[in-house]
Amino acid sequence: MTAALRVEALEAGYEPGLPIVRGASLTVAAGEIFAVLGPNGAGKSTLIKAVAGLVPVFAGRVALLGRDITGRAAHRLAHEGLGFVPQTENVFVNLTVADNLDLAASILKVPRRQRLDALYALFPDLARQRKLLAGRLSGGQRQMLAVARALVGAPKVLILDEPSAGLSPKLVGLVFEKLADVRTGGVTIVLVEQNVKAALAIADRAAVLVEGRERIVGTGPDLARDPQVAALYLGHRGGGA
Amino acid sequence: MLQLVADGFVIGSVIALGAIGVTLVYSILQFANFAHGELLTWGAYLAWTVLVGITAVAGPIMPLGPFSFGWSLLASLVVAALATAALALLLDRVLFRRLRRRGSAITLIMASFGAALVLRNLLQFAYGAVPEYYSREIQVALRLVPRHVLGGLRITPDQLFVLGLTAFTVVALHVFLTRTTLGKAMRATSLNPQLARVTGIDVDGVIRATWIIGGVLAAVAGVFSGLTVQLWPQLGLDLLLPLFAAAILGGIGSVYGAVAGGFIVGLAESLSVPLIGAEYRAATAFAALIAILLVRPTGLFGERP
Repeated sequence: MTAALRVEALEAGYEPGLPIVRGASLTVAAGEIFAVLGPNGAGKSTLIKAVAGLVPVFAGRVALLGRDITGRAAHRLAHEGLGFVPQTENVFVNLTVADNLDLAASILKVPRRQRLDALYALFPDLARQRKLLAGRLSGGQRQMLAVARALVGAPKVLILDEPSAGLSPKLVGLVFEKLADVRTGGVTIVLVEQNVKAALAIADRAAVLVEGRERIVGTGPDLARDPQVAALYLGHRGGGA
Repeated sequence: MLQLVADGFVIGSVIALGAIGVTLVYSILQFANFAHGELLTWGAYLAWTVLVGITAVAGPIMPLGPFSFGWSLLASLVVAALATAALALLLDRVLFRRLRRRGSAITLIMASFGAALVLRNLLQFAYGAVPEYYSREIQVALRLVPRHVLGGLRITPDQLFVLGLTAFTVVALHVFLTRTTLGKAMRATSLNPQLARVTGIDVDGVIRATWIIGGVLAAVAGVFSGLTVQLWPQLGLDLLLPLFAAAILGGIGSVYGAVAGGFIVGLAESLSVPLIGAEYRAATAFAALIAILLVRPTGLFGERP
């Protein structure tokens, strides 16, 4: 079976000769939720940004649904079935909720009305606040809008950089519930998380990244019980960092 | 009084159109392009060159109605606008794009100073320092308001043309930015380039569009300046500081701010002439700038913290 996303011996970083991701390899099956975990500075965000075309790739290969997308520009990937939600500044704060989604729809040239109706059905809070400036949304609603914006182009794979960052535990629960709904709709999800407990609770499988490459890969429950994972987080910081 | 206001709007038209380019480049590329004034000069001289060429081939062209110019100037304006857009793209291709990849904002700013020097001196070398005119026709100013009402108002048809075309350009730009996909993509890119990329926006395409719009508007502003005053190689240099004053007081990054700032600077310059004399009128632009920034540090339409 073709993997939704395959990363092979990837080296990537911001400065040539100084890779932050150093030979990482991951395989994400279609329809699964895959968490990328690891201590600060492990290269988690750099890895997914390199996959999404936002950070230069020095070596290795990335394949999306079997197609080689190594080093492809981020805007092209958005048209080819890869959605990406940055950790911060992930909505256009000076545009309304509706304009954020309309803009994505017009750029990606998807059937606008049908697609937006489906998204508003999935995110009813956003439907109620469609005329509100995105900058005025609460943290949780803003994260929902960021996810909705990334879903406008009906991506096959959705990558999220720390979707729980800055949210209260209750809101983290709501965001992750919504991600589970998105997966049910057939979207493969890859998420980078510092909140290990919440991530492992939702993930089918996860990888722990250390110094730019995967150290442990396993199912969510296996990793939740693995003492090595807790050790890597400097003494059982499973509740989030 | 009315006359000074009208003159201020004419000067403001040139400054507003030029300031839009300054603010667009700043908002999308995050640097202050000090070579923008030279795009106005090049636009003005390219139009003059085409005009001279048309006149050489087709003979003297009759003026259109009350204006001092004929269809040949309008054709020259179109050609100059396209050529200036191409010059802006070329400048980006050979200079700014390379530095964007490797350098910091200050590197780009210093490079723009260098580019301005090169462009200005090339122009002076090619055309000389003697002022030129698009037309030497004498125009009779129309009296729109009698002298006993606030000193009266007289305006030439060319000045009305400048005001009308500026209004049309600003409205067209507003429609472009708010209604078209490319316009919205430009606004999104200026706000958050990385998010724009992952939303599917081709940021390189947006950058090209920015240079094209900036170049076209610079050429139009340059021709307006040549039409209402005269052409000379220092035209862009003289306008550079008012352009930046307008862009900053309007709120750097805001197109509407640049337009408002352009007219405020134009009015400030014009209204100050009876008070402090023409020699110091450029200083009033900065007085207006300081006054507005003291009250509103982000400028009139500034949105960034």
